[in-house]
Amino acid sequence: MDSMTDTETRPLIKMIKVNKFFGPFQALKNIDLEVYKGEKIVICGPSGSGKSTLIRCINRLEEHNDGNIIIDGIELTDKVEDIDAVRREVGMVFQSFNLFPHMTIAKNLMIAQQLVRKTPKAKAREIAMLYLERVKIPEQADKYPIQLSGGQQQRVAIARALCMRPEIILFDEPTSALDPEMINEVLDVMIDLARDGMTMVCVTHEMGFARSVADRVIFMDAGEIVEQAEPAEFFDNPENERTKVFLNQILSH
Amino acid sequence: MEVLTGWWDDYFWGAVIVAKVFIASLSLMILFGLIGAGAKLSNSRVAQKIAGAYTVIFRGTPEILVILLLYFGSAILLTSIAQIFNPEIKFVDVPPFWAGTIAISIIVGSYATETFRGAFLGVNPGSIEAARALGMSTLQTFIYIRIPEMWRIALPPFGNHMLSLIKDTALISIIGLNETLFVAKQAITVTGKPFTMYIVVGAIYLGFSSVITLAVMAIEKFGNRTTIDAK
Repeated sequence: MDSMTDTETRPLIKMIKVNKFFGPFQALKNIDLEVYKGEKIVICGPSGSGKSTLIRCINRLEEHNDGNIIIDGIELTDKVEDIDAVRREVGMVFQSFNLFPHMTIAKNLMIAQQLVRKTPKAKAREIAMLYLERVKIPEQADKYPIQLSGGQQQRVAIARALCMRPEIILFDEPTSALDPEMINEVLDVMIDLARDGMTMVCVTHEMGFARSVADRVIFMDAGEIVEQAEPAEFFDNPENERTKVFLNQILSH
Repeated sequence: MEVLTGWWDDYFWGAVIVAKVFIASLSLMILFGLIGAGAKLSNSRVAQKIAGAYTVIFRGTPEILVILLLYFGSAILLTSIAQIFNPEIKFVDVPPFWAGTIAISIIVGSYATETFRGAFLGVNPGSIEAARALGMSTLQTFIYIRIPEMWRIALPPFGNHMLSLIKDTALISIIGLNETLFVAKQAITVTGKPFTMYIVVGAIYLGFSSVITLAVMAIEKFGNRTTIDAK
């Protein structure tokens, strides 16, 4: 086989028998997961089920204790160069936005481009404005994060991740800290990204988003992947008892 | 005010020395404070213990005592070192400017250690994670994220440390530094007017501390521009 098909058939994210402990508490149990280019994965599950820990292991904000995590061919070990290389390719959007409070919106989008990608300032600003337009708030460029609404801040956070031109974006409950009326503006941006072919791994309880966008929905409980299926299958015919209970709880009202 | 005639220039040069001590000790105080905070936050038990002893000792002893011990201690130490090379030497004099400057920097630096430590701990961990997730290195995160967020938290108590420093400069007169209080003492021996002479010193210090307070307020305003709603 030639190398072309190799890169297309090789998963971007590959987790093999990953275990993670916080002291005596096992947060992840034998996680096996493969995510291919362009796939959209939604991970759901009760709180404390390990879903956030799982995606935080993908860019090594958490260190796994054993098993292998291979991102686009690079295995995550203690090697700092490898960790940095992976982080350049993996964007992340956090529940609490985590914009840099002392920088303007534009600077928030430029700083990593300048420091990590070594993009010249003018070009970095150009790219920043491009993605601010994409999330529909270019007029906020010279304001500070505190001056924006939660929904706007989260859209800026998505734009900041996009500025690094990542292969994969991880979303860690991106709408959980938002007022209800702001959830849709963020989901719209995420749906737009999904249509564009971005590889996405989203921890979220937005089941409407999961149903319309996800290629696969994963249900986690007590550190394990309990069930994974295409959305139609997952929501209409869940196999596992724990999945059924969870879906009943979140969909019943 | 006629008694003051002829003393103005002495007071002026005394004030210049106060300013010089202040600037030198401010830089050293920041350095000691950052090293102390770094040691306290490091993973090294030894560094933590040393920094802990540092803050306990210098926050728990009178400042004037530290100045005297450092002045005479360093003179004795330097003398005995010099005598190893040349037994003829009787006494090595340590300049009071540097002995005093270093002493007050060490003292106020021990307070700054606690301030900086608290401020570093007050930086939003989410900002640090975001920087790491964007691929920024530990050093880049420190310079561009940690320090800019930290100094805004540290500024109000740090302003108090600067006021302590400026007032502590007066203590250095005891080891013979010819700053304003030292000038006043000389003037009193000549004129016999202690109240007038000390009032002048008070006015000079009040002038210095007002400038510091205004500067801190201006810097705070600059730092807080990011949190003032300008919608």
